[in-house]
Amino acid sequence: MRRSARDRLLRALGVHSLSFVISAGLFALPIVYLALQAFKSYPEFLQNPTGLPSSWTFANFTSAWTEGDFGPELINSLVYALIPDVVTLLLGVFLAFPISRGYFRFSNVLYAFFVFSGFLPAGLIPLFVEARALHLYNNMVGYLVLTSFAGAGFFFFVGYIKSIPREIDEAAALEGCGYFRFITRIIIPQMRPALAAFAVFGFVASWNNLILPLVMLSNQSLWPVTRGLYGFMSQYTTQWPLIAAGTVIVAIPVLILFGLLQRHLVEGVAGGAVAGAQPVTQGPPSTTDAA
Amino acid sequence: MTACPFGTRRTRRWIPWLSISVPALGWLVFVLYPSAATVYYSLTQYSGVPGAPVDYCGLCNYRMAFTSVSGPTWEALKVTLVYAAGVTVLQIVFGLGLAMLLNRRGRMFSLYRALVFMPQIFSVTIVGALFSLILDPITGPAEKILHGLFGASSAFLGDSNISLLLIILINVWMFTGYTMLIYIAGLRRIPRELYEAAALDGCGWWSRFRRITWPMLAASTTVNVFLTAMGCLGEYALIILLTDGQFGTQTIGMYMFQQAFGQQSQLGYGSMLAMLQFAMTLVIGGVVLWALRRREVQL
Repeated sequence: MRRSARDRLLRALGVHSLSFVISAGLFALPIVYLALQAFKSYPEFLQNPTGLPSSWTFANFTSAWTEGDFGPELINSLVYALIPDVVTLLLGVFLAFPISRGYFRFSNVLYAFFVFSGFLPAGLIPLFVEARALHLYNNMVGYLVLTSFAGAGFFFFVGYIKSIPREIDEAAALEGCGYFRFITRIIIPQMRPALAAFAVFGFVASWNNLILPLVMLSNQSLWPVTRGLYGFMSQYTTQWPLIAAGTVIVAIPVLILFGLLQRHLVEGVAGGAVAGAQPVTQGPPSTTDAA
Repeated sequence: MTACPFGTRRTRRWIPWLSISVPALGWLVFVLYPSAATVYYSLTQYSGVPGAPVDYCGLCNYRMAFTSVSGPTWEALKVTLVYAAGVTVLQIVFGLGLAMLLNRRGRMFSLYRALVFMPQIFSVTIVGALFSLILDPITGPAEKILHGLFGASSAFLGDSNISLLLIILINVWMFTGYTMLIYIAGLRRIPRELYEAAALDGCGWWSRFRRITWPMLAASTTVNVFLTAMGCLGEYALIILLTDGQFGTQTIGMYMFQQAFGQQSQLGYGSMLAMLQFAMTLVIGGVVLWALRRREVQL
């Protein structure tokens, strides 16, 4: 009996240390390593590229900040992530509600149509030509228009709205509540958990998008931070401390967001709350995300 | 069909149409039209230069792609298959392993799960910078470790023999967290009584895994294989950053991007490549879904 208690303790210890080594060593350490390089001067990095910094300097952060234009680019990123996120969710609800309630003769056909169009060929090339023809190419408003119609979460919303009892609709309509007011005041608050999950995933996906800014935005003043960091990397090819500093600057806002929402994100997926949701960047190809 | 109860007798007929009009129009213009136009563009030699003719040429791009068996298009198809298969298999193995290891109670384990999930929220640009630094053939720590242990050196991402493998591993590093979480959701739905009964029967660790855990996770495996394989077939952002398609890492998506938006600006040929990618996704997605669904029923 005593022996098995000791065995169990050893086993628990083994599981704990294995988990720690994998998650910290494999997943956190590379990022910490990168961050450490940012505190070395370039001559020191050349002499001692892999060790700890001997004299810590913040010079890389200040010069990365000024030379990389990360300040304005962070603001661009915020705009490109927030506005399409809000618009897409709002439009998604207005699209999903009548289809979910079966107000059209062919509601099911419409539903299938919208779902299957997510599996059509990637339309990045015609989208580029179209954007140029419609003067949406290389300007901020145009980029926002292009990204606001991706239709994120539409078919998840249809299922979710079905779980909201129809009796509410009829009661509200009898009371004289209008359609628009009903959706914004009753349906949207009811959908808060689903909308929150998709808002976070949509925000992260837009914030991280590299391909679309690469194709659609050529002026540096319009770049989001992902595109900016890519340009910064090609400009300072092997000056790793400077690039590391730039990367840390770009990573910090995302890390803060992750720290705040970590519980909801991780436990949300693990608990199956957003089982139908696409992962942040991998997923079935759609014009704007997978492109 | 049910009638819309909102509005007056006159307005209730068109309220639902008004509701879907804006999103549906946006969808038509920015999602459906570009997809359909890809089919047409793939039959042209359009260069995308403003004012240039669209130049319809039938199946010329398809013919050009498949005239020689050793051409770059065949090569790209092969690379894409290896890439997608490699990432999917490794991500299932690591994702499941991590799920079984980290699906435990306690504050520390929730921290471990968050750490494994973390790379997912970074942009490919950040991950690209990170691994370009680590795999730098002169100043990177990977070089120091390799040199210290084996006295060998490598060009890493610049070595055609291993660069595809490295990109596969980096992709797995980035997305294993999601696979793990889907498996954890599956593990939490397995009734405990099954394990208790198995323990009474004296089943060992391996037979518990083989007889209970693995079959009960069939639905999660379907989701994971499908999402990972479909994601990989269209993925090229990470490759742009790490090798730009050089050193044997030219996937079909990467090739498409390079043809269309690189120096050549071959929008027609690029669209043909997008069509090939679509065909691949359709065939592989269909087969994978069919096979896994059948397996779910059998298990």
